[in-house]
Amino acid sequence: MRTVAQLELRQRLRSTRWKVALVVWFVVVGAITALAVGALGDVGDGLGLGSSIFGIVVFFVLFLGLIVAPTLSSAAVNGDRNAGTLATLQATLLTPAEIVVGKLLAAWAAALAFLVASVPFIVWAILAGGLNPLLLLATLAVLALELGVVCAIGLGFSALVTKTSGSGVLTYLVAGALSVGTLLVFGLTVPAITAEEQVRAWDVEQGYDWESDEPPVCEWQTVETTQVHTERTWWLLAANPFVVVADVQPVPPYDIDDPAATSADPLALIQTGVRAARTGPADEVDWCTGMHVSFDADGQASAPASPVETPELSTAPVWPWGLGLHLLLGLGAVAVAVRRLRIPAYSLPRGTRVA
Amino acid sequence: MESSRGIHAVGVRRAFGEVQALADVRLEARPGRVTALVGPNGSGKTTLLLVLAGLLVPDAGQVSVAGFDPVTEGPQARARTGWMPDVFGTWDSLTAREVLTTVAAAYRLPRDAGAARAAELLDLVHLTELADAPAHVLSRGQKQRLGLARALVHDPDVLLLDEPASGLDPRSRVDLRVLVRELAARGRTVLVSSHVLTELDEMADDAVFLSGGRTVATQSVTAAQEQRRRWRLAALDAAALRAWLAAAGVPAVAADDGAVHVDLAGDAAAAALLRDAVTAGVPVTSLAPAGGLLEQAYLALEEERR
Ligand SMILES: Nc1ncnc2c1ncn2[C@@H]1O[C@H](COP(=O)(O)OP(=O)(O)O)[C@@H](O)[C@H]1O
Ligand SMILES: [Mg+2]
Repeated sequence: MRTVAQLELRQRLRSTRWKVALVVWFVVVGAITALAVGALGDVGDGLGLGSSIFGIVVFFVLFLGLIVAPTLSSAAVNGDRNAGTLATLQATLLTPAEIVVGKLLAAWAAALAFLVASVPFIVWAILAGGLNPLLLLATLAVLALELGVVCAIGLGFSALVTKTSGSGVLTYLVAGALSVGTLLVFGLTVPAITAEEQVRAWDVEQGYDWESDEPPVCEWQTVETTQVHTERTWWLLAANPFVVVADVQPVPPYDIDDPAATSADPLALIQTGVRAARTGPADEVDWCTGMHVSFDADGQASAPASPVETPELSTAPVWPWGLGLHLLLGLGAVAVAVRRLRIPAYSLPRGTRVA
Repeated sequence: MESSRGIHAVGVRRAFGEVQALADVRLEARPGRVTALVGPNGSGKTTLLLVLAGLLVPDAGQVSVAGFDPVTEGPQARARTGWMPDVFGTWDSLTAREVLTTVAAAYRLPRDAGAARAAELLDLVHLTELADAPAHVLSRGQKQRLGLARALVHDPDVLLLDEPASGLDPRSRVDLRVLVRELAARGRTVLVSSHVLTELDEMADDAVFLSGGRTVATQSVTAAQEQRRRWRLAALDAAALRAWLAAAGVPAVAADDGAVHVDLAGDAAAAALLRDAVTAGVPVTSLAPAGGLLEQAYLALEEERR
């Protein structure tokens, strides 16, 4: 296993393509961070700046990682087979599992190198302040696992498909299906989960004269309204790697005084959206409180207390589902690759000469 | 157990979809001897070697390599088999030395032993000066030599060489021959495939002829020496030569360059013919076998099959 990983890494480290890619990566992530800091700097007040920068860096590292990781592994097996070097490894005492895991570790290590190249910008985020170090580590760990899963899927396809271009495309398709496809399907299912339903509404009394100065009396009514039951389809979003990475952090307390601070962080936005989707629509709504604000003698706004509980975001984490699914996919891909590398071979992939 | 070592294959069949690459192969290669695997392109030599190296499952037949079945006892068989493929792939950015130490590690040799073995083998195939150059700067022949070294890393009992001499310069061919003979002398079993028959002549003890995926003949090269074969006879005066041959009643075929071809049964017959011709005053300049032993045996075989 070490032998194979070492061999693969040596091969990679000495190719100039790889160094160029790292440099390009560094520049792109740096540019994005600088842009983000510039944009956020205008908003001002250092509050939440650190977590926003961190969120943006992690978001783009994952985005670019999904583009780079397939290229690191999707030619690992069929590329070697075409170059005639796979059979020489297979003919030794290495087991298929050792070859596959070695290749996976090498590809993953290369992917992590890109993550490491982003560390300066993460340090920048830390310096900007307001970050929980534990959270940072957890997010990076999940990010690293996600990159590993993409590498594993690429490896699986490279063992299945003869052409390196074919396995590359298939890996991109899976990465795209997970990160964009899940969103599309989620959007497309919305009509199916939308229904006209009766809900209890804490509503303005019937026949209230909106011109009058008298505050309305709130009362319970049963009204028909459109409800979107995203609690039935939230799991589609859970399969999205961006959601998995974003959802690792604990839900931040909603800060009514500073909504801008949280909303600049794409991870927090994604998380809020997914948790809200998982919570689904409430069956009691408040359409009355705040409809009419009266001021008392001290100029304090007073509103009657609402009997409707403010909807709480679901505290049940979404990410373990997605991460679990992804790890299963990755394991499956590794198992497929190991099967395909077993020797002696019964059948050869179409069009290959050597086993 | 002497008989369980070496290579034994009986009734080996293997198809790739429609193509029956191996139809019925019988092969015996004994320790201490070099066995040539001879056949035209597409006759199944490479496929057979893949089966013997434990990379392909035969559809039918029994195979034993160094006393183990490559299908059911793969690791044991592979530990004793060195395989040099015909299409030579190498890890381009590794140096020759690293290629060998990597393969040594893949055969589970300890690191130090692997490094020592690599140095030894680089010396053996005369690549020491290029040991630390990346493998992609090596020429085809040099890569071929590196491939041979790679097959020898774990000091295998059985050596499978697929067209090892292709791309080698004359010097390296001689080296290859010496090395192969030396390995055989040390009791190793060597199976060498080729379609260039002359290069096998001085190397092989036995020959197995493959055609269309079948073993069509098995022959000992020493026996071939005693067989009736074709010789090329040339003289200063071609007319005198032909006249003498006709008078002596030796059937001869005119070759394109004024020389003649005669069929003779073994070296003794050749010596007798030469003595008679010289005695008769024919100005003979040369008498030599026309083409290699295996080539003739092979061509004879082709003729029989027509
Ligand atoms: N992987 C493969 N798929 C399909 N046909 C193959 C494959 N490998 C070999 N063949 C066919 O099997 C036959 C024997 O090939 P091979 O063993 O390479 O011959 P040789 O090495 O004697 O030239 C050829 O007809 C070849 O086209
Ligand atoms: Mg061949």
